[in-house]
Amino acid sequence: MKTMMRFAHVLALSAIFLISAARTARAQETAAVPPKPSDIVSTKTYVSFDPVPRGKEFQAAVVVKINTGYHMNSHKPSDSYLIPTTVTPQLPAGFTMAGEPSYPAGKNEKFPFSPDKPLNVYTGSVTFRMKLTADDKAALGKTSIPVTLRFQACNLSACLPPVKIPLTLEVSVAEAGKAGKPVNPEIFPPKPTS
Amino acid sequence: MIKVVRTLAVAAILSAAAFAFSGCKVSIPTQPAGSLKDAPNVTFKDLQGKDVALSSYKGKVVLLNFWGTWCEPCQHEIPILIDMQNKYASRGFTLLGAATNDEVPTVDKYIHTTQFNVGGKEMPMNYPIVMGSDDISTQFGGLLGMPTSFLITRDGKIYKRYIGALDQVQAQVLKDVESQL
Repeated sequence: MKTMMRFAHVLALSAIFLISAARTARAQETAAVPPKPSDIVSTKTYVSFDPVPRGKEFQAAVVVKINTGYHMNSHKPSDSYLIPTTVTPQLPAGFTMAGEPSYPAGKNEKFPFSPDKPLNVYTGSVTFRMKLTADDKAALGKTSIPVTLRFQACNLSACLPPVKIPLTLEVSVAEAGKAGKPVNPEIFPPKPTS
Repeated sequence: MIKVVRTLAVAAILSAAAFAFSGCKVSIPTQPAGSLKDAPNVTFKDLQGKDVALSSYKGKVVLLNFWGTWCEPCQHEIPILIDMQNKYASRGFTLLGAATNDEVPTVDKYIHTTQFNVGGKEMPMNYPIVMGSDDISTQFGGLLGMPTSFLITRDGKIYKRYIGALDQVQAQVLKDVESQL
């Protein structure tokens, strides 16, 4: 009898647990929250010198890690209606950029929703680079340079709206002629000496 | 006796589990008649800037399709939507495309210049297009991705939600639409 009562108890508790778990799941589905950009990518910014002497060109990089299962359009997507990935620095006074940021080539990949037409996309880790210079008007000391990363990502069946993520490049500016130390060699490998 | 109780216990737990998780799919399961939720009382803008209330479609079965010109899976399913409009419009059905995260000129150009291969024939989009918004998406519970479509009954209730391109669940969608006509 005691065993039967125990069974009944376990049965009732299990049923209550399962039904309440399902209710939670359904409630979560009703109030669906779209994935946040941070669910799709992680980002990190780097500069090649610390400090950067005024007048010396240095590099900056934005490294974007795209989570497995997602891809984003490359900078040159396959269709004019698709939104390209862009990196746009808002340079403060005293900073200039040589040309445009450099974007790696995307990969042509087919997806279930585009079985005939390959799409030019980024997956995995991708690095965008910029060549910057702090001239004699650049403020000495630490400066934060805002950078906007814009992308539009999809998984294998659906897409997320285009988003803009604000990033920051932290730069330390020194007097002209002062020796700057190369940093972040994993991102900016030293050029081989011949 | 203990064996019987044990069997009953296992059966009851499995039944509870089946009931509990039957709704945890990507699309909302069909709910019993009488328990369907009303579609939100939203008003879109058409491409000329005029108001289009979703309630103005009451009396029709509506497949409200949130899409974007920038969204490749959305483009991929458009031939299916054109075909559905051709097939069912005369039976009190309409597609309603809500372009989201888009600009009016881009959408206008897209719908007037793009042809789609529908069963071997080149066809333009043949159903009404309105502009969606973040606020409207929120009123629909937040869109997890594009495309997302809602099948709305003649009396303005949400029958089902489909996330992702409909070509992957085309047979089910057609069955659902036909069940409401």
